[in-house]
Amino acid sequence: MTIDGGESAAAERVTIHWQGRAIDAPAGEDAAAALFAAGILVLGYSRKFHRPLGLSGVFLAGVKGHVEGLPNQRVDLTPVRAGLALRAQNVWPNGRFDLQRLARLIPRRWLRGGFEHPAWLPGGSRRFQIWESFLRLMAGGGDAVEPNRPGASLPGERLMADVAIVGGGPAGRQAARRAMESGRSVILVSRSSQPGAIAAALGADLPALPDSVLRLAGHEAAALYRQGRLLVCAPRAGGPAKLIEARQLLLATGRLSIPPLVPGADLPGVLELRKAVELIQGHGATLGRIVLIGAGDLTGVGRRLGGLGANILAMRPAGALRRIEGRQRIERAIFESGGIGCDSLVHAGPWRADPTLPFQAGADGEFRLSASRLPPHIEIVGSAAIPPEPIAHGPALDDAAMVCPCMDVTVGEIRDLVAAGHDHVEELKRLTGCGMGPCQGFPCWDLLAAALAAITGQSAESFGHPSYRPPRGALTVAQAAGLAHLVQPEREP
Amino acid sequence: MRASVAIIGGGIQGLMLAFCLAERGLKDILVLDAGYWQGGASGRNGTLVRPGFSSVEWTRFFGHSHRLWLGLSRRLGHNVMFSRRGYAVLAESERTAAICERMLVVNGECGIAARPMTREELRRRLSPLVQTGIKSAVFFDAGGTAPHHAAMKGLFAACQARGVTLRYRTRVTGIERQGLRAVGVRLGHELVGAHNVVIAAVAHSPAVARLAGVELEGRPRRLEACAIEPTRAFLDPALALLDRTLYLHQTARGEIVGGCEVEGDTAGLTLASDLPVLAQYARHLVEMIPALADLGILRQWAGHIHATADLAPLLGPHPDCHDLWISAGWSYGIAGAPAAGDLLAKAIVTGAIDDRMAPFAVDRKQRGKLIQEGAIVAIN
Repeated sequence: MTIDGGESAAAERVTIHWQGRAIDAPAGEDAAAALFAAGILVLGYSRKFHRPLGLSGVFLAGVKGHVEGLPNQRVDLTPVRAGLALRAQNVWPNGRFDLQRLARLIPRRWLRGGFEHPAWLPGGSRRFQIWESFLRLMAGGGDAVEPNRPGASLPGERLMADVAIVGGGPAGRQAARRAMESGRSVILVSRSSQPGAIAAALGADLPALPDSVLRLAGHEAAALYRQGRLLVCAPRAGGPAKLIEARQLLLATGRLSIPPLVPGADLPGVLELRKAVELIQGHGATLGRIVLIGAGDLTGVGRRLGGLGANILAMRPAGALRRIEGRQRIERAIFESGGIGCDSLVHAGPWRADPTLPFQAGADGEFRLSASRLPPHIEIVGSAAIPPEPIAHGPALDDAAMVCPCMDVTVGEIRDLVAAGHDHVEELKRLTGCGMGPCQGFPCWDLLAAALAAITGQSAESFGHPSYRPPRGALTVAQAAGLAHLVQPEREP
Repeated sequence: MRASVAIIGGGIQGLMLAFCLAERGLKDILVLDAGYWQGGASGRNGTLVRPGFSSVEWTRFFGHSHRLWLGLSRRLGHNVMFSRRGYAVLAESERTAAICERMLVVNGECGIAARPMTREELRRRLSPLVQTGIKSAVFFDAGGTAPHHAAMKGLFAACQARGVTLRYRTRVTGIERQGLRAVGVRLGHELVGAHNVVIAAVAHSPAVARLAGVELEGRPRRLEACAIEPTRAFLDPALALLDRTLYLHQTARGEIVGGCEVEGDTAGLTLASDLPVLAQYARHLVEMIPALADLGILRQWAGHIHATADLAPLLGPHPDCHDLWISAGWSYGIAGAPAAGDLLAKAIVTGAIDDRMAPFAVDRKQRGKLIQEGAIVAIN
């Protein structure tokens, strides 16, 4: 049984609009990939420096846009349909004639911590109100919604099972089979509408799912509450949220490849391995001349990509990359041995699991939330259980590298704050906004810890990370409102 | 080191008091905090600042505080980004409409600019808001918001520049007494002598007071708030809806930040957030500002206040211990901090208790002098 996220698999070609320009695209596919295949790589801009961002498989500001006028929508989760109208956000007055681009001329040092603090426009004065209007224009994500836009609560649903599994890749499927064989009921939540397809393309063995598994395909696991006893998930294409209570919770969320901490690592055209596979295989996009970097042996990955028709110019360890150059998209990858002109850079490692759900399951504390161990009913399975691999960067950490690309937090800003005595990750988050954008901390706090380790000489783990706060954009106001009748406050024993 | 004043709690109350004491020329001021900078309620609140309430006591105190907020950037030499974008208090029942009426009278008596909003003005200023259930609305033109990160940053820098010693991640393990007097604080093995000790530790204040062998009434209460994904200007004034215990505003970064309370949420001193408040807050939004329904909720977090019997602060000397001062019991701490710092510093330096601070005396509950204030956004 499948509760589908709403996507269909038709291949009919239709016309969609990007900033008013008509694009021919296959119906049902994700709009960001369709735009990529049509050669449109820049989909968004960073908050302060207004640097171009796009589909990366890692950072989310590059895939947030207006969909049918509604701001902050995931363009990469929007299925292509006839007449679909898409626009970039964080532009003014519009994406084709964008005066916010002038922000690139402002010295980056002036924008540290935000646009907010000039002492010559003191808060409390009338002058500040004019400045604040400007701030609200410059720092806003998308356009404001229409004040009279209708809205209603989406009544949620409570689901119960013996076992709930998050992740529909090989490990999640294997766990589901095992649980079914022992006679237990299973709910499997998967972000993708075709879970495991990418893993299969990369050569993984994909066990078939028994029909009796309740599949929530196209659903994002938005949050865990109450020591992991309540799992909230929501369909990515809209519709009511679900509140799942299970005796056992298995987290099979896999791992993400983290780009090296070097300048340009967020330029459009830099792609996480699985996003690259999805683009080539699922959308027929050509990635042009590819440089492949990664951790460990890359020959197997290179052969797979080659087998899909990818043109790989070079394979290098991620640690050898010094910077990535390009204006609107990647043009060159610079290694210690010299530069390579290319159209795409695909990174396959170092790999790290998203720590958000395990953190929320175990989080507690009076002065700072921390999660020392998982509750006994929760287990991390598959590659998500592998310890995180160290993030790559050059021998001398470059001040221009971005710790948090969406919010424009540079290594240089972190370095100066550490020199001023701020080495606590929660303080650094508050001072810089690092991890307060659409990704909500992953992977930016991994990059922050790597930067702190390189700056101070201490281990990255010793810095920990700020709280991974729910529900990181995966639940709308209407979806959350629909859960109100399903849950009561906990009382003290 | 021997401190003139040792302040336990480095949130906005502790830092504001330290700054005001330093302004008055005091040296050797020490601020101690068990957590990290901005980690407590001062980094987790809704940042709303309003000058007026429905009681004379609250209005005289918070009116003074609001005036100090307007000039705080200049005093600190740092921009605290106080935004006088207006603050609307809305009533949806006869009970709260009566409170709004009373607010107008009391604010008039206290010289605070507050006025009723007409239907036309409600529609103009608050166009996304469903207006049909609004029975009464009071508007403070000069009320608004003070983003806590800006105020904390300014206070931190201003305190450092004036030689205040700030020690975070340093837990006070004892308060030393000699007879009736507090004479220092203990930090594990380290003993720091102090002429005055101040407790400004929000939810932890009652526990810290017990280190000195004295009691503080009230208990910790967990509040939760959340932020919706940023958009350009959509909502200008700060909003408080009394019947729903709902408050919200749109930040300069474009996020809608706010929260509400849910009856029966009594979970103790943990910072872990829970689902009922998120869901109830979302339900209020869908009912009152339906245009937000399809926007994503970016993050949710929890913090603690110290809820006293009347939800008013406990300010002044502790009656059972000399040289022990209290700035606790805050629920409107960000709004009240400038006045609390100003008046408590005056009391510590000169010994004079200002009559705007006197009603908030620490022992008012024992003396049967609780303050009746109905215009606060909290379950009471």
